[in-house]
Formats: sequence, C-alpha cells, structure tokens
Amino acid sequence: MTRDAIKDLVLEIIKDIDEDADFEALQADQPLRDQLDLDSMDFLDIVMELRKRHKLQIPEEDYPQLASLDSCVNYLEPLLKNA
Amino acid sequence: MHVPLLIIGGGLSGLAAAIRFARFNPDVLILEKHSRIGGLNSYYYRNNSLFETGLHAITNFAPPQEKAAPLNRLLRQLKLKRQDFTFHEQIKSDIFFSNQEILSFSNDFALLHQEIETKFPRRAPGFSRLLQIIKDYDPFQAAAFRSARTLLLTTLDEPLLVDMLLCPLMYYGSSLENDMDLGQFVIMFRAIFLEGMFRPEGSIKDFLDTLLKQYQELGGKIRLQATVARIIHQDRKISAVELTNGEVITCDNLLSTIGHEETLAALAVPPLPKQRPRLGFVESIFRLPAGCRQNLTQEKTIIFFNSSEKFRYQRPDHLVDFSSGVICFPGNFQDLKAQPFLELRATHLADYGSWKALAADRAAYLAAKSETAGQSKLALEKIIGNFSQDIVYEDTFTPLTIERFTAKKEGAIYGCPDKIKNGDIGYDNLFLAGTDQGFLGIVGSMLSGVSMINQHILSRT
Repeated sequence: MTRDAIKDLVLEIIKDIDEDADFEALQADQPLRDQLDLDSMDFLDIVMELRKRHKLQIPEEDYPQLASLDSCVNYLEPLLKNA
Repeated sequence: MHVPLLIIGGGLSGLAAAIRFARFNPDVLILEKHSRIGGLNSYYYRNNSLFETGLHAITNFAPPQEKAAPLNRLLRQLKLKRQDFTFHEQIKSDIFFSNQEILSFSNDFALLHQEIETKFPRRAPGFSRLLQIIKDYDPFQAAAFRSARTLLLTTLDEPLLVDMLLCPLMYYGSSLENDMDLGQFVIMFRAIFLEGMFRPEGSIKDFLDTLLKQYQELGGKIRLQATVARIIHQDRKISAVELTNGEVITCDNLLSTIGHEETLAALAVPPLPKQRPRLGFVESIFRLPAGCRQNLTQEKTIIFFNSSEKFRYQRPDHLVDFSSGVICFPGNFQDLKAQPFLELRATHLADYGSWKALAADRAAYLAAKSETAGQSKLALEKIIGNFSQDIVYEDTFTPLTIERFTAKKEGAIYGCPDKIKNGDIGYDNLFLAGTDQGFLGIVGSMLSGVSMINQHILSRT
C-alpha cells in the first residue's frame, strides 16, 4: 500500500467512526485526537478496524504511534507493504 | 457450544457490551434469566397496556454536536445513529424541601445557577468554587473514597443547600447511605445538572428493541429464560458456564452484569465480608384519565422531595420512608405525543428485610403494598395537589418485586455500596460490568458495558 493509500484508509476509518468529521483543516503532523474531538474510545475503533480489515495486531504499547496522520502512515507503511 | 465472549445479563450494560463486541466479532452470546431484556429498565403488560419499569428519565442529555459528551460517545461506540432516535428533553424539575426551600432546574444549567444565586445569595461564591472543582475533577482516574458531603459542606457552608443538591443525585444513582464518593458525585452532577434529563420517543420497549435489532443485525445471539447455575473455573481461569438445564457453554471471556456478590455466588467462592446496607426502593405507578391533566402540573417533569427537617437517604427501619422520594410525570417531557392517559410514578426508600419478613404471609404482604400506595398518595398530594380520586389503575413494586424480576440482590437497584471500577474481581478472563462496576443510569450502565469490553477484551484479544 502506498503512503497515500494508507492515509486514505485511516481517514476512511475515521469517517466511519464519525461521519461529521471535518478533514478540511486537518494538519497531518498534529494529534488527531485534539483536531477531530476523538477520545480514547474512538481511538480503539481505529485499531479494531485495522485488525478487522487488514488482520493487523497492534499492541497496546504502540497506540501512541497512531497519534497523528503522519505517524499513522509511518507506523503502518511497513506493516501494510504487501497489502 | 463455544463462544469467544459470553455475557450474563441482558440489561442495558450487557446489551451495550454485546453490541460493542459484535461490531468486531459476531460470535457473542447473551444469557438472560428473564423472559424479557432490559433488566432494571424493562416493561410489562397489564390490561392490554404497556407499563415501563425503572425508567423515569435518562440522564446525560447532550445536543448532537457535542461529540465528547457521554451520550454521543456511547452512540458512536455502538454505531447507532443519533438521528435514528427522537429524544424529548425534560421541561423543568424541582428539588422540593417542604417548608424549607424549592430549587428548580432544567437542561439549561443557568436556571439552577440563578436559583441558587437568588435563594442562597451568600452561597453563590461557594457554588462557583464547587463548579470549578467539578470541572477540574477527573472521576475516571482511580482514587480512594472521598466524601462528597464533606467537600460540599466545606465549600458551601450551608447544610440545607448541600442536602438539596445531593437529593436528586442520590435518588438517581447512589448505592451508599447519606453520602457519595466524590467521583460518583461529579459523574452524577454532570449527568443531571450540567447535561440534563430526557426520554426517548415511544416507550423503553422501543429503545430496547432498537438495541436488540442492532445487536442481532451484527450477528449476535441472545437466549432468554437462560439461568446460569454456576460458572466453571479452575482458580483464576473461567472455562465455561453451566445453565440450570444442565447445558454447558464454554467461552474464552466472560462478562458478568449480575452484580459482584451474585457473581461470586455463581463461582461458588466464599462471599465478601459483611457489606454496608443495600438500599431498597418501592415504586408506585398511578394512572389517571388524560382529562385530569388540567388538575395537575404540566410543567414539572420530576420532583425530588423531602418533607422532614433533615433529609435522610438511608435504609429505613420499617417498610417504607415516605418522608422523601421522587415524583415523575412521564408525560411531561417536551413535544411528547398526547397519551390516552396521565401517569404518575412515585419512589421512596424501603427496607428489604421488613418486606421479606412479610413475604410468607401473602395477605399481609398485599395489604402492606396497598397501604404503601395509599401513604405514597398522601405524601404526593401534599406537594402536587389531589389526584387520588381520579386513579383508574395503580400498581406497586416492592424490593421483593424488583429482586424477583431483576435478580438484583435484596432488590437494591443501585447494587452493592462498594463498586469495582475497573471491573476486575481477580479472574483472568471474567470481568464485571453494570451496576456493581459503578456507572449508573441508562447511559452510565451502557458506557460501563462498552468500556469494560474496550478495556479488558478488545484491547487484549
């Protein structure tokens, strides 16, 4: 999967969690949580969706690596390289 | 039969937990002892008419755009669309302390704030400090018990105001006598005063049916009239549950919503050391013809009242304490469709032991129920005016009724006074959710189910 495809995947998952999420002003290097009003419960949904769609097991200690859109892409790129 | 997740109890916490898990793995089974779902918030039929149990109002109202509000977080977690529900907000409610003071509040917090400034002008600065404490407090952080009453007395320095603020919060969610844990107080203060009260369109049955449909569409299964005889375990590891019909269902994880002591009994391990008293309640439902509406308030949704000099939220030493309670008008929410009848519900504190002592003598028990309805009417009429001459139907639930239909020990709707906030009762793959985990109310209990699944099961499996 390309970096752009991974980015789209993450945004699509977020859209699925909150259909009113507004990506217009989203800054890719800033925490998703603050910008989109997501809480830790919503965050778990991103992890669960990645598991469901791509059989990815993300250990709890790696959750901080999903903080911003950029860090998501960096973290997921090697894991999804064959996807 | 084997399931990755087995849930005991089809009340609101069990249903919410089940939906949450089924979103990612449909292999989940709920076992419900009763022939109907809902637990404490359910319904029954009499005279071809549906009667709700439990529900007065749902707390934690929030408009759709407040994404971080518990109600909206909950709906997102369950993948339920806010627009699929119609919610009716309360009109106005009162805290009515006879011969002392009355405070009105609504879903607009400014009303309560203004009431306090007008009626307790000298306490206004203290109240502002209290609001700041509530704003800054994180009730979800693990903390030792801290007395909310002590903090309120120091901050407000006015026992009457302290009792008046505690009264609704205790009646709608305290398992503890005469005090609350500060964390629980903050949760309830936000839920009732800062967020507010509402009810769904239709009846609790429609609400439950929506949840059940969501669950079943995700592929989840439920069995009604399925009673757990025992939980089979080897030390800390649960392997299966055996039903009273002998069937054994194995599971990877077990979530119990039936209460802490009730779960220990199913595990056949020693019970907890003697606990503080559980609080029992009686509730009467009175129905009147719709035409009587003019004679009674149409502006008040709920009245929390106290008529004694000192408000007591404690187990009475006799059947019922009529000196305080809650009066609910389920028809007085904003923009409700006109109903063919007018309903009134009255709740008071009751003593399980006194009712239990009457149980063997059916005639005496029924007489006490009827006497309870009578005394309750008298207490209510002093506050809302006469209505008993118009009653066409009435029914009364005692702590024994509640115990029988919900299996809550001693009919204590708010469960054990000591909560297990992390749901961990010392087993590897068994967790507690619902009443004894400690988030109370309909939104609270559902969030309890969701957060226990998130914390212990989804993030680990």
